[in-house]
Amino acid sequence: MTRSLRLAGRQALLEQRSFWRSTEYALFTFVFPLMILLLIGAANVGSYLPGTDVKNTTVFVPSILAFGVIVAAYVNLGSKMAVLRHDGVLKRIRTTPLPSAAYLGGLLASTVATVILITACTGLIGWLAFGAGPRSAGLPALAAGLILGIVCFATLGLAISSVITSAESAGPIAFASFLPIAIISGVFDPTFSGLPGWLSRLVTAFPVRALAQLLQGAYAVRPFPAWDLANLALWTAAGAGFVAWRFRWHT
Amino acid sequence: MADTRVIDEAPPAVIDSPAVQVRGLRMSYGSTEVLRGVDFDVRYGEVFCLLGPNGAGKTTTLELLEGFRRPTGGTVRVLGLNPSTQATKLRDRAGMVLQECGFPRQARVAELINIWRGYYPNPRPLGELLELVELTEVRGNQVRKLSAGQRRRLDFALALAGDPDLVFLDEPTTGFDPEARRRCWAAIENLRRLGTTIVLTTHYLDEAERLADRIAILRAGRIELAGTAHEVAAHAGLATRICFTTPSALRRGQIALPEGVDLAVRGPLSVCHTDNAAMTLRTLLDWAVDNYLGDLDGLTVTAPSLEDSYLQLTGADGDHQ
Repeated sequence: MTRSLRLAGRQALLEQRSFWRSTEYALFTFVFPLMILLLIGAANVGSYLPGTDVKNTTVFVPSILAFGVIVAAYVNLGSKMAVLRHDGVLKRIRTTPLPSAAYLGGLLASTVATVILITACTGLIGWLAFGAGPRSAGLPALAAGLILGIVCFATLGLAISSVITSAESAGPIAFASFLPIAIISGVFDPTFSGLPGWLSRLVTAFPVRALAQLLQGAYAVRPFPAWDLANLALWTAAGAGFVAWRFRWHT
Repeated sequence: MADTRVIDEAPPAVIDSPAVQVRGLRMSYGSTEVLRGVDFDVRYGEVFCLLGPNGAGKTTTLELLEGFRRPTGGTVRVLGLNPSTQATKLRDRAGMVLQECGFPRQARVAELINIWRGYYPNPRPLGELLELVELTEVRGNQVRKLSAGQRRRLDFALALAGDPDLVFLDEPTTGFDPEARRRCWAAIENLRRLGTTIVLTTHYLDEAERLADRIAILRAGRIELAGTAHEVAAHAGLATRICFTTPSALRRGQIALPEGVDLAVRGPLSVCHTDNAAMTLRTLLDWAVDNYLGDLDGLTVTAPSLEDSYLQLTGADGDHQ
């Protein structure tokens, strides 16, 4: 057990080093959300949600937190896993006595580290630039949202990696399967409300807005997010089932 | 360089049982029978080569030995273990080089080898590994910047990281240029000198002949022949060829042909084929002495080559299996 933990730790360190060496991954994961945060955030300064005294930026900053979590856990982990599988790295790992759990644990630990870092950056910049910080009473909601978000989207990342058929398409597929939903979920636009009824009901079914709303609950007072919690739990269960069914160590 | 075999230094208990024992091995994918009863042993400290055309079942055999698949029938013992049920134990002691396995894209050479060393209970020192596969100069390079030959040698280094007793190499030099192959071979010969048992597959004859102590020719899911390169050639029923410059007396018909030897005079060259080279040579040399021919000029004895026997075995329909 201790050996597995030690091995997982070393694996996580290697993954983190590789992540920072791979400029495209690092840039995409960090700079992109922060850029969106600053650009769209600047356009919303001084605006309030219609009919409330809640600033746009107060819900926009946690939306971008959710965006960062999803990029790191779903897009990054999912495409990385697909690349590792198609490059034969996973198969090679199977030729060693390294327990599978230690290897996957290392990958997940590295993903968690990235999420924590990006959350801290986004939160800090959101606070410095727009004065939007979490309520002290909202901190448990923030922690719960981050943990649930990582678990749910990392599981979905592993799931999507199993349906990606080439290393080249890994990044685009992972990203394309998420970005449209992020847009209609209003992640980039706090006042977004122009959806037809059926589409806004559909959006409610996806986990992107659920995570965004959970995190928004840490910044602004919101009703208890029962559906959002259930939504993430259901998607996690569905993703885990799919992973158990389709996960392969080689192509 | 002296070909020292470390087998004598291995503990006696180890020598008694073979490193790999395969009996009646069968494997089917659906209704396709890939292996139809394969038997062979690999001794400790030897380089054993499975030679055969593409599709003969070499990789399947190796995957069964490595525990990646479960055989349809027969038994496999590797280092005394059953690969399909004791895979983790086996991986502690056996290194594997698969065909076309990638590396993590951003890792550096020494860093990756070190990570791999961490997977094993008794790893081999980093410097030794780098030297063994001639990668010391590129130890700090990113893996994706290595040449194909260097990548394959890094494959070796990773397979050797745990100081294994046995190494599997699946077509180690397929698709390489001559220089890359030569350095690959050098790495394998370094390994052999350390006493590591090696099981390799190849469809290159020269590779088998150069590296292997013993060869098994696999064709259409069966072992056709097994033994040293020389034995394989001899068992294939091919004759040794003896030639010499035809003595002028014989050419002019002044002396009779030797008795009991199937000698053909082809102008300036006399040729005979024999299954018993020693006996034939003795007869020829006695005949030469009796007829005052001295030592036969231009005398050459050519053993049947592995290539001859391989082509004879696999030539007709081997490639279509």
